[in-house]
Amino acid sequence: MTAAWYGILALMFAGFAVGEGWNFGAGALHLFVARTRAERRQVVAAIGPLWSWNEVWLIAAGGVLVMAFPRVFAAAMSGYYLAVFLLLWCLVLRGIALEVGGHLDDAMWQDFWNVIFAASSAALAVLFGAAFGNLLRGVPLDADGRMFLPLFDDLGRRGRVGILDWFTISVAVFTLVLLAAHGATGLARRTAGALEVRSARAAARLWIATVVLLPVVSIETAIVRPGFFTAITERPLGQLSFAVVVAGLGAVLAGTRRRAQTLAFVGSSAVILGLIAGAAASMYPVMLQSTIEGTPSITAENGAADVYALRVALGWWPVALALSVGYAAFVGWRYRGKVAAEPEGR
Amino acid sequence: MVSIASDSALWHRLQFAFTATYHYLFPQLTMGLAPFLVLWKWRAWRSGSNAYAQAARFWTRIFGLTFAVGVVTGIPLEMQFGTNWAGFSRYAGGVVGQTLAMEGMFAFFLESALVGALIYGEQRLSRRAHFAVSIGVCVGSWLSGYFILVTNAFMQHPVGYALGSDGVLRLADLGAYLRNPWAWVEFAHNQAAALVSGAFVVAAVGAGYQLRSMHGEQARLYLRWGTTAGLVASLLVAFPTGDMQAKMVARHQEVALAAMEGRFESGTMAPITFIGQPNVVERRLDNPIALPGALSFLAYGTFHANVRGLGAFSEDQWPTGIEPLYYAFHVMAGLGTLFILLMGLAAIDSWRGRLTRHRLLLWALMLATPFPFIANTAGWMTAELGRQPWLIYGLFRTTDGISDVVSAGNTIFTLIGFCGLYFVLGLLYLYLVGREVLYGPSHAPHAPHAPHAPQAAGAGAP
Repeated sequence: MTAAWYGILALMFAGFAVGEGWNFGAGALHLFVARTRAERRQVVAAIGPLWSWNEVWLIAAGGVLVMAFPRVFAAAMSGYYLAVFLLLWCLVLRGIALEVGGHLDDAMWQDFWNVIFAASSAALAVLFGAAFGNLLRGVPLDADGRMFLPLFDDLGRRGRVGILDWFTISVAVFTLVLLAAHGATGLARRTAGALEVRSARAAARLWIATVVLLPVVSIETAIVRPGFFTAITERPLGQLSFAVVVAGLGAVLAGTRRRAQTLAFVGSSAVILGLIAGAAASMYPVMLQSTIEGTPSITAENGAADVYALRVALGWWPVALALSVGYAAFVGWRYRGKVAAEPEGR
Repeated sequence: MVSIASDSALWHRLQFAFTATYHYLFPQLTMGLAPFLVLWKWRAWRSGSNAYAQAARFWTRIFGLTFAVGVVTGIPLEMQFGTNWAGFSRYAGGVVGQTLAMEGMFAFFLESALVGALIYGEQRLSRRAHFAVSIGVCVGSWLSGYFILVTNAFMQHPVGYALGSDGVLRLADLGAYLRNPWAWVEFAHNQAAALVSGAFVVAAVGAGYQLRSMHGEQARLYLRWGTTAGLVASLLVAFPTGDMQAKMVARHQEVALAAMEGRFESGTMAPITFIGQPNVVERRLDNPIALPGALSFLAYGTFHANVRGLGAFSEDQWPTGIEPLYYAFHVMAGLGTLFILLMGLAAIDSWRGRLTRHRLLLWALMLATPFPFIANTAGWMTAELGRQPWLIYGLFRTTDGISDVVSAGNTIFTLIGFCGLYFVLGLLYLYLVGREVLYGPSHAPHAPHAPHAPQAAGAGAP
């Protein structure tokens, strides 16, 4: 039962990373690939119809985390206090920028919100990357399973660690590059005209950077979290995730070469999904790894809610998921296809 | 030296109170407006009426802005259960997590997928599909309210749980938890109050246009619907929902009832106080103007019922903020009564077709706009201050619920951040909504670059 909920949570965070991740990437990139105001509006229109649905994956995952693993939610949210609020404020600013940025037909207004949109999107990619790095590295849990991390300490990675150290920063940088690559791939697929061309060019470069950085981050992970890759090679789901990442990269390469943009985007999504699934499979059952000698980690077993709660929730959760996908399909179908730039000054 | 400023519980409470209060200014309006949108779209679709179509379009724009601010200010609330209230999450997350997760899975996915289609999709969807979308958004927003009220009801009157061997609560019966009697009463009361906010805003915009002799047909439509719905909703807030809520408090939170009325002595023929100042140190109510027997009757159905005062309870059971609780309750109840009077007069005039000439009443309707929001806020303060000193009534104290790893300095830092961010949000909201209202319903949609309005490459390409 706890394994099922561990898997569901990993899936929900992966869904968030794929769906909202491409929006973060597109937002972070859009000042560079979209040169005119019309093109920038084109970016917003391309991610527009379902951006908040994508974001709900995070909110819903947060709710599922409280429901299934209250101890993990309590320890992580209070322990990462400052980072969580930086993240929340970026989400607030980004949401407002998306919703009201096009509300006035005014150049200054739009320029202002475009910068907010880009900066908050990039910051979110970095913050979520750092959070992921923290999960990989571990956290300074005390004997009661509580912790409090300063934003940064001495940038060391043993004992009393902070949220930012050289490892979590490199995971954050990698995440930014990966999501930018994912975003550029998505923009190339969803837009037409000059924006499409520039996005495709950016995607090619960013994917090269991703492929260069991935081994670097992997080696760092092997150092920081001994046994991480052993577990991936030993566990079937780890092997499968590895295969998904490789296949995804292959699909990105093939899709980019042949201008099969949907194939490239599916591949790009598979890479992200595979990376998160692989990490989840490798770390199971640990959810918050303790970096302090002798204090226990919080796991899917000792951090979980009572079995009755998990069982009844397993009854309603699939229903809700099916409905959710249904709504998104209803909307997504009506907004399918490419978005063209509107003529300037209309 | 440790001063009051280093008391981290105080700052955790202030931050949650501020962010929750601010947030709820917006959802009460979206929940209150959503049924208007559904009904107007229905009328427009069925009768082909242009006036209703225009009304639905105009109010959808206001709805969209309100919804956006409601969404972005709502996200921090869920996370604050963990950041600031880790003790509570650890103790009760296994129970209340059910509804927090359900809210995301059932309500937020529904709303977030459809709200864009509601605001920007009229051209792209068939009339039937667009009407269905408005129902979906309405259901989603009310469903979200239901899940949150079940969560709150558990804190007010816990049911369906058991105490686990590890000292934390576990869910024992999901059905009992979801059907908490407190939740149904609270939901009915709260939703009626949200409708009051929606109806007052609709009527106020109508009154404003009428006073400026603008948008004649639309102004009359808003006045007619706003005053009728406003009267019905104001009546529902008081009876039966408010009455049931009061009886629920009398039965399960007796000491909170005493504090709400500033009642220190016990006895029969307990009065309802209209005005008076609680003096907690001297244990009496100063300068009371009261109606004898009314409280006994309203709480227990007979004038001879003994309503126990605060003196009958030990002080560690008393709500921690008796004075603000007393005033919150009286502001809510007083405003609620005035709403019935105002909307009663306005609705009767409206039915007789003379409201549009009654300038005094139009002015009153227009200037009344902030008061339902104040009353809703006061009502929530009554519920939450009355619950003190408990976080989960009778089970778990508020001071045990905080994140003890977070220092006051960190919480003050984030509270300052929220003050700044929400101040800017408020200005932005007022500016954009004010602009919509000044442009008026006949103005063409002027958000041409909305995030949900992509053009198909084939059709719209230059």
